[in-house]
Amino acid sequence: MSQISIDQIYKSFKTEAVLKGVSLSAEQGEIVVIFGPSGTGKTVLLRIIVGMEDPDAGTVRLRGKDMTEAAPETRGIGMAFQNFALFPHMSAYDNIASALTAKHTNATEIQDRVEKIAKLLKISHVLQQTPRELSNGQKQRTALARALVGDPRILLLDDPLRNVDAKLRYEMRLELPTLLKAAGSTVLYVTQDYKEAMALGDKIAVLLDGQFVQTATPAQIYLEPATLGVARLFGDPTLNVVAATPQMQGGALSFAFGGTSVSLPLSFAHSAGKSCSIGIRPEAVMVEDHRAEGSFPVEIVAVTPLNEKTVLLLRTPDGTELLAAEPGNEETSRRHGMAYARFNRDALLLFDAASGLRIAAQQS
Amino acid sequence: MSDIALILDAVDKIYLRRTKSPVYAVKGLNMNIQRGEIIALLGSSGCGKTSTLRMIAGFEDVTQGTITLAGRRLEQLPPAKRNVAMAFEGYSLYPPLTVRDNIAFALKSSHMQAADIDRAVREVAAMVEIEPILDRYPSSISGGQQQRASLARALVRKADLYLLDEPMGQLEPQLRAVLRGRLKSLLVERRMTSIFVTHDQTEANALADRIAVMEGGVLQQFANQKELKDRPANLFVATFIGEPPMNVFDATLDSADGLSFHITDGPQLHYGLSEISPDVRKAIGARTKVVVGVRPHSIKLGTGIHEARVVSNQWLGDQSHIALSVAGKLLVAVSHAPIAARAGEMLRYAISAAHLHIFDTDSGRALSHGSEAA
Repeated sequence: MSQISIDQIYKSFKTEAVLKGVSLSAEQGEIVVIFGPSGTGKTVLLRIIVGMEDPDAGTVRLRGKDMTEAAPETRGIGMAFQNFALFPHMSAYDNIASALTAKHTNATEIQDRVEKIAKLLKISHVLQQTPRELSNGQKQRTALARALVGDPRILLLDDPLRNVDAKLRYEMRLELPTLLKAAGSTVLYVTQDYKEAMALGDKIAVLLDGQFVQTATPAQIYLEPATLGVARLFGDPTLNVVAATPQMQGGALSFAFGGTSVSLPLSFAHSAGKSCSIGIRPEAVMVEDHRAEGSFPVEIVAVTPLNEKTVLLLRTPDGTELLAAEPGNEETSRRHGMAYARFNRDALLLFDAASGLRIAAQQS
Repeated sequence: MSDIALILDAVDKIYLRRTKSPVYAVKGLNMNIQRGEIIALLGSSGCGKTSTLRMIAGFEDVTQGTITLAGRRLEQLPPAKRNVAMAFEGYSLYPPLTVRDNIAFALKSSHMQAADIDRAVREVAAMVEIEPILDRYPSSISGGQQQRASLARALVRKADLYLLDEPMGQLEPQLRAVLRGRLKSLLVERRMTSIFVTHDQTEANALADRIAVMEGGVLQQFANQKELKDRPANLFVATFIGEPPMNVFDATLDSADGLSFHITDGPQLHYGLSEISPDVRKAIGARTKVVVGVRPHSIKLGTGIHEARVVSNQWLGDQSHIALSVAGKLLVAVSHAPIAARAGEMLRYAISAAHLHIFDTDSGRALSHGSEAA
């Protein structure tokens, strides 16, 4: 039985359709990340699940029961938001305990629970302080503690790391999965940071234009994106896209690029003659000083460091621009100038130019 | 070529408070900025970066020290006379004017032809992708669009200096990456001397020629991104710069038979005499305690004499981040090749002397980086 199961949810505001038939399920203990650019309806969906917003159509089932019409407080959901939403006049302790007092838990049990969750989240030493005296990181942990303290079977987290500094966000990215698994809750986690999505999610549901375009594991999303739109959202820098029509000639498959012909694995033979968008991740572009099998001449136009990678902007003789990424930047001493580039054939992604759907390789 | 545009000389910003002791928002700040240089002021909130920007703009008084722009002393000049263009969060668009007129406003008071103004506005609007909303009013556009309009209004002007406060803070990641590239090439092409404030080091690395890292009102280091990464001046910079930042551990020293770092409650990193350069020995001197640091990308995994429990292994598509439990903390390693280890398993790791950064325990000042003294 799924802990969360939403089916064909529709929601419009005035004339604008925000959610156009979205369905999603999450099993006991699973972390499902809802990922998408801002304005795609991620928060609206959470508000519908928690009961703060009514859907125009569709059902919300929680722990097997239809809760579409149920009042928010009866749904048994814990929630934390990006803006913390702590009570300013109460200590961190009282803020966390406020999630329990409403349920008439007895005093010693409240104390035990608050102290246990505070220890787990490393805020034991600031429990007596008010939100004003806490750092952003401590506020965020306090808000998270309040969401977790009642042992909710279902937890909704709306971009909870958005307003904390990079260092803490990174630490939380490492620790959060362990914390959430220890609590045993089923989690829906909203973010627009693809790295956070990949690091935290057992599954990622990609929301684009009011619909889930793909719901799959991080590895499937990155290696086998359902559409070009999904592929563009995962990866930094984003993947190169080349418009091309693969041609079959003398038993070999290839496409024209940068004034040369680039070969494709024969498992894509069924794409011959179709107009395609070919996606090439920057890390699948190899730049070398010497000509090699399948390489083509390029000019290195710009070299920029990006988080322990070096990003090269390449230009082919016919003026096509291409990004390549190499690990590390201390070892690389690349200068601007002429070089040769080639693609890692096995990492090429083919999409139908019209629909944007990925064309899967066929096993022969 | 010494072509200095802006000089900050011993600048202090002190806020006096009636009942409590005064607050030093900025302390003894010295900076020389070349003409055409792009500078990032980087730090977390409250580090003094925004106060610095506001003093240069003229929105805050300078408590002590001098600011000189293009040979003119700025401290006593009103903001409008400083010939500085700015895009600030608090420096909002004029509500009664359309986005187009907001951007054109500064140009109309110059002596440009209407057709030239129109062309300049459309060019800059295209760059920040707000052409479709040029005839709308500020109150009817989103926060991100307001920010881009404000950026366009600053960039369209001719000024001695451009001050940009978190210029892309409100924008979503995909658009940010594209705008960054365009902004950088515009600033470089027109040799626009500019200072921008950010808390995002990716932004600082991508845009800036040099980065001023600030903390507690004090400039910690002012250098290009490679220098900040390879030769951080102190522990603050070392653990602030880098994604993920440097791992650091307290250690006691034992110099019998080479050099050993006994990490408190953790493993012993031992290096033979040939592995530690004389310069590094000299830099350490007679100290018996130091802080050792290693960058996540410099740790070798799956090999070596040390072993630790894997806390998490997160694959991000082109790299894996592996957190190991070492000395009661996390030792984070990054690998570009996939690593099979799962949470709970043991994994070997190695740290070579060539990748060690050593810091003074008390002051946090860097003593050595790899085989070189700091």
